Amino acid sequence: MTTATSPHTLSARGLGLGYGDRQIVSQLDVDLPPGRFTVVVGPNACGKSTLLRAMARLLTPTAGTVLLDGRDIHTTSTRQVAACLGMLPQTPVAPDAITVADLVGRGRYPHQGWFRRWTAADSEGVAAAMLATDVLDLADRSVDELSGGQRQRVWIAMALAQETDILLLDEPTTYLDISHQLDVLDLLTDLNRDRGVTLAVVLHDLNLACRYADHLIAMKDGRVVAEGAPRDVVTESLVGEVFGLRSTVIPDPASGTPMIVPLGRHHVPSATS
Amino acid sequence: MNPAVTDAAARVGRLQRARRARFAAVSAALGLVALGALLLSLTVGDIDVPLADVWAVLTGGGDPASRFVVHELRLPRALLALVVGACFGMSGAVFQSLLRNPLASPDVIGVSAGASAAAVLSSMAFGLSGLALSGGALAGALLAGTLIYLLAWRGGVSGGRFVLIGIGVGTGLISLRSYLMTRAEVTEAHNAFLWLTGSLNGRSWSQLWPLLGCAVLLVPLTLAASRGLAALQLGDEAAGGLGVRVERGRLALLACATGLVGVATAAAGPVGFVALVSAPIARRLLPGQGAALLPSALTGAALVGAADFAAQHALPATQLPVGVVTSVVGAPYLLWLLARANRVGRGG
Repeated sequence: MTTATSPHTLSARGLGLGYGDRQIVSQLDVDLPPGRFTVVVGPNACGKSTLLRAMARLLTPTAGTVLLDGRDIHTTSTRQVAACLGMLPQTPVAPDAITVADLVGRGRYPHQGWFRRWTAADSEGVAAAMLATDVLDLADRSVDELSGGQRQRVWIAMALAQETDILLLDEPTTYLDISHQLDVLDLLTDLNRDRGVTLAVVLHDLNLACRYADHLIAMKDGRVVAEGAPRDVVTESLVGEVFGLRSTVIPDPASGTPMIVPLGRHHVPSATS
Repeated sequence: MNPAVTDAAARVGRLQRARRARFAAVSAALGLVALGALLLSLTVGDIDVPLADVWAVLTGGGDPASRFVVHELRLPRALLALVVGACFGMSGAVFQSLLRNPLASPDVIGVSAGASAAAVLSSMAFGLSGLALSGGALAGALLAGTLIYLLAWRGGVSGGRFVLIGIGVGTGLISLRSYLMTRAEVTEAHNAFLWLTGSLNGRSWSQLWPLLGCAVLLVPLTLAASRGLAALQLGDEAAGGLGVRVERGRLALLACATGLVGVATAAAGPVGFVALVSAPIARRLLPGQGAALLPSALTGAALVGAADFAAQHALPATQLPVGVVTSVVGAPYLLWLLARANRVGRGG
C-alpha cells in the first residue's frame, strides 16, 4: 500500500469554474492539507461538488489552475493523475450483475497496460482494499443484491484499489442510514490514519463533518467562507452566514468538537437575536 | 506482507482465474456452435456432401463436383454468414455497454438505417450495384453515426440523449428510404427490398473478401479500443477518475462499432436483430463479465450461421432471406425487453 513518506499535494489557485455561461466558482484558492481529512460543507448548489470535480481533473477550469504537486493538473497526463489521485463520484454506475470482486478490480485500471492485464500485484491491491472495507466476504456476490451501506463500501474499495495518496469523495454518505454513515466515516478515518491517505470529502451532515474533519472548508456561492480546524472556525455566526440558519453551537458531548443545534421557528423559544 | 492480505489475495486471484476459465469455456462453446453451423451448411443441401469430402475439398483435394458445390457455392456464403454475424454481435455489444442501454443497438438507433437508406439511394439514383453499392452502404452507416454523435454532443455525449437522437435520425432515414422505394420501378424495388431484409442468397467470394479484409482490421481495433470500456461502464466521472480519456475513448469505440455495422450491412443488408440480441445472450452466459465483446461476436456468428442454414432449408421450395429468420428470433426478444423495461421503470 502507499505510505505517507512523500504525500502528493493538491491545491487550487484563482480557480474559476462553470458550466456553459453559468459561473459557479470564481477566484477560489484552496489547499488540501497533505495526510489530513478535509471535509467540504455548504448549502446545495454552493459549488462544492463542482470544486471536487475540478480538483479531480474532470472539469476544465474557466480561470486559474488546479495544482497537483505544484504542477498544473491539466498539463499532467491522465495516467499520472490517476496514479496519485482517486475520485469517487456521487452516483457511479454498477453494470448489471457485476460481482463485488470484479467491480473492485476495475479500480486497478490505471495500473494495467495494453498487454499487461492481471497480475499478483492487482490481486493484492484488490484484496487489501476489500479487507480494509470489510467486503471480502461479499467477493462473489452481485452488487445489485447488496444493501446501500454494503454497496457504498464496495465503491470505496474500488477507489482504494486504485492505490492513490489522494482520495476525493463526493457525498459518500448520502442515501445511507445513520449507522452506515458512521461506518463509512470511520472507515475513511482508518484509511487516513493508517495509510496517510489525503482525503477531501463532501458531506451534508454538519455535526458529522465537525467530528470527523481535521480541516473544514465551508463554501457559499462558489466562495470559501471559512476554513480550518472545526473547533477554530465553526461558530453560530458562521452557520448563519453559510446556511442562513439560526443555531446554537455547543461542544459535542462525545467528541468535544462543535455540535450545531439548529433552531427553526417552532419548538424553541422565539428568536432573541 | 500481512498474512490476511496474502490469503485474501489468493482468494481474489482464484476468483479471477475462475472468471477467466468461464470466459474461455463459454467462448470455446460458442465457437463450436458457430463451427457446427458452418459444417452443417457445407454438408447439407440439394446435394449432400459427406463430411469427409468436405474435408478433402477444404484441404485442396476432392472431386470436381463436390469441389464446385462446397468451394464455390457453400463456403463463401457460410463464411460470410459467420463474419457478418460476428461484426453485428461485436458492434451491438459495444453500443449497448457504452451507452448503458440494452436497447441501444445499431439497428435500433439508426446506424443500420443510415446504411440501408444510402444503399437504396445509390442503387436507384446512381445505378450502383455490387461492391460500389456496398461502399455506399458503409458510407451511409458512417454518416448516420457521425450525424447522431454531432447532434447528441453537448460538451460530451450521454447515453440517453444518444439513443433518443439515434432513434429520431433512424426514423427519418427510414422515411427517406421508403420515399425512394415509392419512386422506384417494380423490379428495382423488389431487389432493394430483398437487400433490406438482409439476405445471403447468391453471395460469393467476391463479396466475402472485402468484408473479411475490413473485419480483420476492425475487430482488433475494437478490442484495443475496448480497454477503457470496463471503466466507462461505471459512468463518465468514475471512468475519468480512473484515468480514462472519456470522450476520446468513447468516440474511438463508437467509430469502430459503426464501422463494423457498416461493413456487415454492406455485405449482407441489415440482418435484423442480430446486433440487438447477441450481446445479451453472451452476457447471460457470462453474468457480470463486462461487455464480453468476443463472446458477443461469437454469439452473433453462431446466430447468423444457424439462421442462414434454417433460411435455406426451413421451407422446401424457397430460400428465405436470413433476416426473416433472425427477426423471428429477435422481435419477441425486443418486445420482452420493452415490457420488462416498463415493469422495472427504467425505460430501457
